[in-house]
Amino acid sequence: MEINAQIALTVFMGVLLVAVAAWLTRIEDWRSYSSTAGGVVSQGERSEYIEQEKPAGLIRWLTTVDHKDIGILYGIYGLTAFAVGGLMVVLMRVELATPSTTLVGPALYNSLMTSHGITMLFLFGTPIIAAFSNYLIPLIIGADDMAFPRINAIAFWLLPPSALMIWAGFFAGPLGLGFEAPQTAWTLYTPLSTGSAGGSLDPAGGAGIDLMLLGLHLSGVAATMGAINFIATIFTQRDENVTWANLDIFSWTILTQSGLILFAFPLLGSALLMLLADRNFGTSFFLADGGNLLWQHLFWFFGHPEVYILVLPMMGIVSYVLPRFAGRKLFGFKFVVYSTLAIGVLSFGVWAHHMFATGMDPRLRASFMAVSMAIAIPSAVKTFNWITTLWNGRIRLTTPMLFCIGFVSNFIIGGVTGVFLASIPVDLVLHDTYYVVGHFHYIVMGAIAFAGFAGIYYWFPLVTGRMYQATLGKAHFWLSFIGTNITFFAMILLGYGGMPRRYATYLPQFTSLNVIATVGAMILFVGQIIFVWNLVNSWYAGKRVESGDPWDLKRDGVHTVEWQWFDRKIETAITDGGEEEQNAVTDGGEPIDKSENN
Amino acid sequence: MATKIFDKDTILDLTVNFVPLGILAVFIGIFVFADPWGFDLRASLPMYLIMFSMVISLGILTYISGKAIAGDEKKAEVYSQGQAFLDGAEPIDPHGHGENSEETDEHESKTDPENEEH
Ligand code: HEM
Ligand SMILES: [Cu+2]
Repeated sequence: MEINAQIALTVFMGVLLVAVAAWLTRIEDWRSYSSTAGGVVSQGERSEYIEQEKPAGLIRWLTTVDHKDIGILYGIYGLTAFAVGGLMVVLMRVELATPSTTLVGPALYNSLMTSHGITMLFLFGTPIIAAFSNYLIPLIIGADDMAFPRINAIAFWLLPPSALMIWAGFFAGPLGLGFEAPQTAWTLYTPLSTGSAGGSLDPAGGAGIDLMLLGLHLSGVAATMGAINFIATIFTQRDENVTWANLDIFSWTILTQSGLILFAFPLLGSALLMLLADRNFGTSFFLADGGNLLWQHLFWFFGHPEVYILVLPMMGIVSYVLPRFAGRKLFGFKFVVYSTLAIGVLSFGVWAHHMFATGMDPRLRASFMAVSMAIAIPSAVKTFNWITTLWNGRIRLTTPMLFCIGFVSNFIIGGVTGVFLASIPVDLVLHDTYYVVGHFHYIVMGAIAFAGFAGIYYWFPLVTGRMYQATLGKAHFWLSFIGTNITFFAMILLGYGGMPRRYATYLPQFTSLNVIATVGAMILFVGQIIFVWNLVNSWYAGKRVESGDPWDLKRDGVHTVEWQWFDRKIETAITDGGEEEQNAVTDGGEPIDKSENN
Repeated sequence: MATKIFDKDTILDLTVNFVPLGILAVFIGIFVFADPWGFDLRASLPMYLIMFSMVISLGILTYISGKAIAGDEKKAEVYSQGQAFLDGAEPIDPHGHGENSEETDEHESKTDPENEEH
């Protein structure tokens, strides 16, 4: 068994290395990337150089260095991971409909839980943000492409192997390779993750853990490459009119996020390698006295910034999209910019609020509480700015706008529960209960995923040239909003009741709230099926967008440059102009304008 | 106009980051004066280090970004986000937010008729 696992691992890594080496040799001229990014084209006139170079068919997608194509690839990748992670959690919630084990045993439950968390954070969250930033930032800041288009492509192509390694354990079991899916939870706490008898024999997943560590490492490398690229792009490739004073809020959040990635991910990479060495090469970073606490410090020094890596760009999307449908500028634009930067800094001083219950020195603990309280302020400032933007605005409840408002609503609950957790005495009661699960899901599902949906609907016409079905979009919103609130509010109550997290079974007194949470999850699930169907169907057969301003933004003076780019694109595509004024396919724009303004 | 970057308006914009700085200062004050757990270098040093490093780095980043943003405001026209090179976009008053909502409305109505013709 052990030999099998070792062989599988070796062969897998060997094939990977050879593939990478072979591929690298095919690129002769490393410096030629500058040719695509060199010519500074002002006033948003983008050279279509890259456009003409594209081959057809599959080869195009495998070889593309165009930021828009790479953005689409990231998007498809992220949504695929979202589906995988979502199906995993559907199984788990079905299991949790009854107190005892019925469908899924404890070992499989733990594997599903581990992979669900890692998939959603690393394979859905980070890539779906990269989808928006790759596609849009060069358009919005008036750059020709990313500063390093080829690095951009490499960063994306590291992700599919990363996913395969993270999920490898699920295939290994049925194939008889002798190792299983990891059961360590996404936090990979030692000593569980070090394995009682070295790498491949431990009960928590064997070589599956090693592969997952390598996969995570690879995804970290990808994220770091992307971050460097965005920093370089935003600093050096802006149109001359885009000064720091009028850089848009989405680019600001991506810039801050990239800074966070630059400091957080390399540290995760080092910690992962130390763990790998402990498991396989006889080192004892985490085996000596204090090793377990060391792991937690290293992990959370990365882990807390990671949650802001995910939420900041999504706040950027909401700050960018929400004003479009409120018919006015974002209220207090610069407050939002400065508080984004403040969150970026402070997120590196709060990590041990995940470790209040470890028995660390009370003085040290108190300082992390202080910084955690301070970081709540910039988040609250943003929330007030969004709400004030809505105040007296000409609100149009289109699907993206509904998701933005849902984001704000869910973020308030997620944020307030977070501030309670940041208070040491409260946390000592609620730590490791379902309250924590409720807290962070209000943010990761209720806010991060919602902002992702808002962005997908808002820019769907820009990317595909077609409009989605508005009714289905709204059904998706309401099912998601109701499902999220039922599921995760029930979890908050379960946490107050004292139900611990990360178990496949529970005491009978928690049954009714668990059933409610499962029902909520099923509502969410139905919503997401509608979403996928709407997306796929509309991409192939949706109504073509004929106007360059499908959201009717010009009317309120909130038109933006990426739609101007789109307008030019369809103008060159459509030979017979003329009928562009009808705006036939605006999602609810027209009828809602005329009727109620809620 | 171009003489002073950190004028009253810019300071007002930066107040948003003074609040977390203030909260940290209050906590530091409480820990210094109430001193509930006594002083022990091994624990107290990292404790103050965490808080002071946050105060200092937030202060520095706020200063640098304030300088970059306010400096560019004075050097070039300011546009609403996403409109910097939009055809026919009108520059905005960078300090037209918040304090004076009338001003904001004025800008909106000014751009409205312009857009009708499209
Ligand atoms: C208002 C600011 C926030 C504060 C003060 C806060 C506070 C906390 C605290 C103290 C915990 C630890 C609870 C425990 O394990 O006992 C926690 C857990 C968590 N928070 Fe937050 N939070 C905030 C915002 C966020 C945001 C924006 C995100 C996501 C983008 C997030 C994601 C998480 C996650 C994923 C966990 C659980 C990690 C785990 O143990 O698996 N939080 N939060
Ligand atoms: Cu945290």
